[in-house]
Amino acid sequence: MQGGPFIGPWEDTMRHLAIATAVAASLSAWSASHAVAQTPVDYPQKVVTLVTHSSPGGGSDVFLREMAKHLPKYIKATFIVENVQGGSGARAVSRLATAPADGSVFYATTPTYIYTSLLSKVQYGYKDVEPLVNFFTDSEVIYTRADGPYKTLKDVIDKAQVSRGRWGAANPASLERQAAEQLKKAANVFPAVVSHEGGGDLMINVLNGTLDIGIGEIPEIRPQLEAGKIRLLATFDPQRMEAFPNIPTVKESGYPVALEKFRGLAGPKGLPPEITKIWDEAVPKVLADPDYKKVYRTESLVANFIPHAKYQGFIQNFGTVTEAFLKESGVLK
Amino acid sequence: MHSLGIAFDLLFGSPIILYSIIGLIWGIIGGSLPGISASITMALLLPFTYGMAPVQAIVLLACTYIGAEYGGSIPAILIRTPGTNSAAATVIDGYEMKRQGRAGEALGISLWSGVIGSLFGLLMLIMLTEPLSWVALAFKPTSYFALGILGLSVIASMTNGSLLKGLAAAVVGLMIATIGTDPISGVTRFTFGSPELLGGVEPVLIMIGVFAVSELMMQSGSKGLGGVSEQVRVRLPSLSMMNRLKRSQFIGCLLGTFEGLTPGGGGSIAAFLSYNEARRWSKEPEKFGKGSEEGVAAPETANNTVASAALIPLLSFGIPSSNSTAVLLGGLLIHGLLPGPRLFEQNADVVVGLYLGSFIATLAQILVGILLLPVCVWLVNRPRAYLAGFILALILSGIFTLNTSLADLGIALGMGLVGYLMRRAGYPLLPLILGVVLGHMVESSYRRSLLLSGGDHTIFLEDPIAVGLLLASFVFVTLSLVREFRDARNAKLKDAHA
Amino acid sequence: MREHAALRDLAGGIVVLVIAGLYYWAIGDIAESSLSDDVGATGLPRILAYILAGFGLILTARAVMAGALSPAPRPAAEASAPSEDEDETSALPRALGFLAFGVAYVVLVPIIGYLPAIALLIGAVALYEGAPRNWKTLATALGGALLYWGIFVKLLGVHQPSGWFF
Repeated sequence: MQGGPFIGPWEDTMRHLAIATAVAASLSAWSASHAVAQTPVDYPQKVVTLVTHSSPGGGSDVFLREMAKHLPKYIKATFIVENVQGGSGARAVSRLATAPADGSVFYATTPTYIYTSLLSKVQYGYKDVEPLVNFFTDSEVIYTRADGPYKTLKDVIDKAQVSRGRWGAANPASLERQAAEQLKKAANVFPAVVSHEGGGDLMINVLNGTLDIGIGEIPEIRPQLEAGKIRLLATFDPQRMEAFPNIPTVKESGYPVALEKFRGLAGPKGLPPEITKIWDEAVPKVLADPDYKKVYRTESLVANFIPHAKYQGFIQNFGTVTEAFLKESGVLK
Repeated sequence: MHSLGIAFDLLFGSPIILYSIIGLIWGIIGGSLPGISASITMALLLPFTYGMAPVQAIVLLACTYIGAEYGGSIPAILIRTPGTNSAAATVIDGYEMKRQGRAGEALGISLWSGVIGSLFGLLMLIMLTEPLSWVALAFKPTSYFALGILGLSVIASMTNGSLLKGLAAAVVGLMIATIGTDPISGVTRFTFGSPELLGGVEPVLIMIGVFAVSELMMQSGSKGLGGVSEQVRVRLPSLSMMNRLKRSQFIGCLLGTFEGLTPGGGGSIAAFLSYNEARRWSKEPEKFGKGSEEGVAAPETANNTVASAALIPLLSFGIPSSNSTAVLLGGLLIHGLLPGPRLFEQNADVVVGLYLGSFIATLAQILVGILLLPVCVWLVNRPRAYLAGFILALILSGIFTLNTSLADLGIALGMGLVGYLMRRAGYPLLPLILGVVLGHMVESSYRRSLLLSGGDHTIFLEDPIAVGLLLASFVFVTLSLVREFRDARNAKLKDAHA
Repeated sequence: MREHAALRDLAGGIVVLVIAGLYYWAIGDIAESSLSDDVGATGLPRILAYILAGFGLILTARAVMAGALSPAPRPAAEASAPSEDEDETSALPRALGFLAFGVAYVVLVPIIGYLPAIALLIGAVALYEGAPRNWKTLATALGGALLYWGIFVKLLGVHQPSGWFF
């Protein structure tokens, strides 16, 4: 159970299943059966392939398949999901980078592909593709066991000041790990931060009291959260989460750290403006779709539309910040 | 009574039987193709389950898992190629039996043991999910370290009489396990910049390389397997044989349940441990490695028990203990089913359906095996000249599906050369495999433990599970070494007499 | 025979030493990170390299001694190759030749595609292993390729490499 370290916790456990699957038929049939009020805008391509590095059932895969159900209501095309696994995302990115820039192929972006580009010599990295638009932010949360001694983030920090704190992150060299380091710095404490083999592994060690807190994503801990065994302490989101309005942000708790684990699309370099314009206009409508809203809210995804013009800068900035973090901590030479 | 009602509804209302048998057959096919692991076999089906009712989808996937765990033993016995990671221990005596012309018997034993293991695991799942789920929770990094050491302790008795060479092979295995991303800090190690190696080397590539490719190289140019006439029929064990296998199967059931509960090697640790323990407690330990029936029964019981027992932490905590159960978790989530205590209340039909479907699949396994296996035996009895090409082609096609990477093919072929040279130079292969399988777990849990304690080794003594497992490892190693030396002395005495 | 075994052990010991050396040398490439623990990313690799080097030294020394004192009987426990494989061992050149077909497949498959490459592989290995050069071998190779293509590409739906032509 060696974990593919850069792939988000979900994908991690189910890594490296090299399968390409397409469910075009069922999806187009689905959209046809749903009579929708608005007419979808014309699109230059009949079939759009959405590539992901995650395996069927993994995080990005579920994200794309849900999205593919709702997009045809606003963009007149058939959307197919293709799983290109392996190489911690490197293969999927090179599939994208070598595809024609005509709006027929996109890739589901997550921080994974930035980490992989930075940490290995990839033929095509994140700078070789063009970010299209952003859809969501995954909420990163700090949690503890419900019957444990910590009621607030401050309790945890206080404990870390007087004795050895024990914090857990789902994966090494991941956004969660980066979050833990930034929180340490902001609060000026020096707990041990223990990386795990994915979200499930981490959750066991929080539940059995080995760790004070864990840093992870909602979907991984939801069974125990709903069973009342886990307590949320704070979120790294810039704003409070809609699903948990009582949980403060880390910033509100007094530590100036905020993170955005983005989920969006990227295309090959040189996307024509008429294509990016269609997406810029359609995506806010898709995100406002009531059916779709219901689905993504339960997944604790926060709608966070970033238009094409701004998204490029956002990704570049994320890459620069991550690179600086990895260099500063010595992970990158 | 309520559950019984649901069970009857499911049995007659929706074609659960159909889904469980389709899943089983699909699983056996996927599991028996080298390189296509249980998790890939399941993931291939996943997109098709989107349109199914939840209970159908889950039954289909769970039965695929059962079939795949069993299917892995078929190529292990017939062509020295473990179809899945956990069938590596079956290679030892299974392939030896095949070389003696007892393939049908070996396949019958593995089939029978698989059924026993699945039934036992299922029984645990149905009766004891609640208490056993707490075992999963009690496992801390210190316990995992001790579990890894226990697994490594098996090496002491798998060195084929050359302790030093065996240990050297084990160290090389541990070295291979360090390739990839460092589990604690995330820096890359021995990847030489390749993104393909970021996630480490898949153990199954090493297994297929050193076992199967090296075997093909060894046999190249030979006329065949000594002209042993093979019986094509699969022979289920006779009553007296069943009686003889009881002890090894019992060991397999216990260890399999234990590993199913704890995230780890996905069945391979339990398989190796029970092989070793079956030998220790056997009345004929000298037959192990030379075609022992118990040597097939123990690991096959263990890995099939794991397949059912792994559902315990999955259903009660939503924690996947292996890649395969992670795919099953994906299947649950896609249908909006959230594992955890509430699953048993809110979706009792899914849970009961899962029990029922797995039960049907386990029984159907005997029938499917009896029909399917003669074909496999017939296939491997084709003229050797053709067979060698077919096996190599099968291996190269199968492992390409792992990562769709030609680099993986290169690794497997390279490991074939390594395996060939090791065998020529008298280095045992199994310690290498154990090192590869366990290295990551031992290193990462050791470092996690020390991080938690601030470098204080007494943390291992504070965990009763760790203390127990470490003591057991110590006893095992001592006993194994004593036996090795005694065997060596006996052999010398025999030489002197001759 | 005994000298031969000692020679093989000597080669084995030296190879073990070389592996330990190369591995140790590659440790130098591992970055030192402040995110690491006290053991560090290089902790276990260093220990493994030392242990393996130690084993290599002992194995080499033992082989040298065994070779030098070849008339002296050695304990059975340390007999050279285990008997299991001795009967059907094929010579190194022949085994390497077999492996070469696998390597050729890996090189060829991205150029000519899965179906032709797998047919060539089955056919070539069959000839190498002594199958007659007739239509039967040809038919077997083509049939086998179609069978695998059917299983992997059509039934399982997993991608196999596609070449320039197929």
